[in-house]
Amino acid sequence: MRRYLFLAASFSLLLGLLITAWQESRHPKPIALTPTLTGKVEYCLSCHGDLPEISKSHPVQTFGCVLCHGGEPLALDANLAHSTMRGGKNPSDFSVVQASCAGSNCHSGTAEDFRNHIQRATTSIQATYAGAIANIRYTFGVQPDLKARLGIFSVQVSQSTSGITALAAFDPTQETNPYVKAFGQNCLTCHLSAQPLPGSEYFRFTGCSACHTPTQSPDRTNTEQVQSSQIHKLTTSISYTQCDTCHNRGNYDLRTITFKPRQDHPADRLHDYYQPIAQFTSCEWKLDCVDCHTRTEAMGDGNLYSVKKDIQYIQCKTCHGTLTDLPQTRTLTDPNDLAFRLATLNPVIDLKLGDTILVTEKDEPLWNIRVLPDGTYELFGKADNQRYVFRPVKGSACTQDPARQDSGSCHECHSVER
Amino acid sequence: MRPNFLHHLHPPTIPARQARLRYTLAAGGLAVFLSLILLVTGLLEMFYYIPTPDQAAASIQTLTFLVPYGGLVRNLHYWSAQFLVIVTLVHFLRVVFTGAYAAPRRFNYLLGMGLLVLAVLLDFTGYVLRWDEGIRWALVTGTNLVKSIPLIGNALYMMLVGGTQPGPATLIRFYGWHIFGLALAAGILVAWHIFRVRRDGGIAVPPPPLREDQRRITRFELVRREVLAMLLAATALLLLSAFAPAPLAATITASAPVSETARAPWFFLWVQQMLKLGNPFFWGVVVPLAVLVLISLIPYIFPKPAKPELGRWFPKSNRLAQAVALFILLAIITLTLLALLPAS
Repeated sequence: MRRYLFLAASFSLLLGLLITAWQESRHPKPIALTPTLTGKVEYCLSCHGDLPEISKSHPVQTFGCVLCHGGEPLALDANLAHSTMRGGKNPSDFSVVQASCAGSNCHSGTAEDFRNHIQRATTSIQATYAGAIANIRYTFGVQPDLKARLGIFSVQVSQSTSGITALAAFDPTQETNPYVKAFGQNCLTCHLSAQPLPGSEYFRFTGCSACHTPTQSPDRTNTEQVQSSQIHKLTTSISYTQCDTCHNRGNYDLRTITFKPRQDHPADRLHDYYQPIAQFTSCEWKLDCVDCHTRTEAMGDGNLYSVKKDIQYIQCKTCHGTLTDLPQTRTLTDPNDLAFRLATLNPVIDLKLGDTILVTEKDEPLWNIRVLPDGTYELFGKADNQRYVFRPVKGSACTQDPARQDSGSCHECHSVER
Repeated sequence: MRPNFLHHLHPPTIPARQARLRYTLAAGGLAVFLSLILLVTGLLEMFYYIPTPDQAAASIQTLTFLVPYGGLVRNLHYWSAQFLVIVTLVHFLRVVFTGAYAAPRRFNYLLGMGLLVLAVLLDFTGYVLRWDEGIRWALVTGTNLVKSIPLIGNALYMMLVGGTQPGPATLIRFYGWHIFGLALAAGILVAWHIFRVRRDGGIAVPPPPLREDQRRITRFELVRREVLAMLLAATALLLLSAFAPAPLAATITASAPVSETARAPWFFLWVQQMLKLGNPFFWGVVVPLAVLVLISLIPYIFPKPAKPELGRWFPKSNRLAQAVALFILLAIITLTLLALLPAS
């Protein structure tokens, strides 16, 4: 009896050892990576080896994962490894972007050429939502003018050409006007720190990734939705469908202070265009938003503004000129010209020294538009890679007064019927 | 059969009653077995552990996740340590609830109390060596408790922490205490404790004329039983360690404040709960020390257990000591459970 007990106990220990070995064999096999930028080993790829490279500018062998995402580099337990990640899946959220994307060698470089992207983006009107907040508070008599005083978060700049150097945080609970309160509850879904509305058509990330991580297919007719967990991508090739996660999705109703989603289901690009009653020309629906609108318009120029119009300045004439003037151009003579860097980041055009490109009224390069020898222009779509050729107004049959160049004036003749 | 080395560590024969599982609960033997496992696994861990604030947590993660069977070694060390505290407590309760501390075993009872304290301190210092987010309570509240002691508090704090705030000196001191100071003291006390068990006539049973059961077992049988117990304990420990990983938290980030939800290690939860009552010196130092002194004095201040009643549970002669121990036990369990309740 005692002997059997002894044998059974020995057998149980042996079995325990075998089970332990089996359990050990189930642990993930460590896959080490020592990114050249950090020089510190990390083991994220043990589980995440199947993730695609996030972008050509951030090769995993150089950056690794932890530099941007945080987390515990040595842990092979998912909960522990992920416990200190910045911003969950999205390290570019503005609450953590300084730790993730900033740095003088990264995206908060010198102010020269507006390279402090973090500072620009976090003071931009898309981040502060200062315009909408000021407008609503002015409309309902809470503030005496349209000048921005409040933003989604409090933010300061050392100097500002707009005269606004600081915004306090907008706190709807501190507002007494019921409409402004309701605005705070119902209408804060489209700034860069806001979680999007439910629904795949609204789906985007926050922070930098709201625009730079493509959550929407560039082709609206492609109904295959990308799974959020599988998007590991940063791009400067931003399709209009990404802009549409906020823009073009419906209207805010001022009487009820609610968002009214658009009810139509456009089947093609033409009918997908912004407001149903708007007038627009072919380039406004054929091109992508980023083909004309510059990076400072979208991401700000480091100043705090009260309203979108303060920063958005591209007009038809920027590319087409007027009856009297051709659009402004620049011949590329400096290999360090900003245009080359932008064209490298999104290589849709083979810019060469000596090429002449269009520039905006503020001297921002329209690096995807080149002057052709015959006086026409070629534009390469930043998102669709298509080549478009267009002519200047000067020398055409157009009779538009050069002093009246707002889009409404151009649309009087050049609008698309649908 | 010729007795081998292991047999020679035991007396040739002992009264059968001394080796009865339902009397001893095998607690003392398990404590020795767990201590041996702790010694071996601890020595293995020392090959990987780096006792500096910026490397400690990372080196534990390396050991846990990247060294083959390193996680198992750490889990074995962790679970052995937790069970050591538990079986030491069980051993203490067995001694009180059977009146086994009666003279001539009063001094060995004190040695045992010393070992109980050492087991808790070793567990505590080992836990601090993790140096990750999970030990913030110990690092901040625990060390500040020392400061609350009048007159010597600040000097004691400097000795323990090695500076005005926890840092590299603190970690290396805890490491020194854990692997050397406390471990050496524990080793000496264990040897002394076991020596005194034999010197005092083995495990407490009535003197020979008063024994109902006169049977004896040989050292061969005793060693067989011990090995059997070790095999079963090792299996249980192994399976637990294979499937229940020892706790680990994120690498500590400097200057993050200690959160309200930071918990003490489980064996100090009762102290943490008492600290909510007010004065940290009284509730965090005086009361725990008073409890320790009170239970240490049990053999000296309470009625002596009667010799014929030795070797059985709950003798009538020492009911008062049993009641005191039970009250303290229930109080500690209640405080621990209260501390585990989510903060409302």
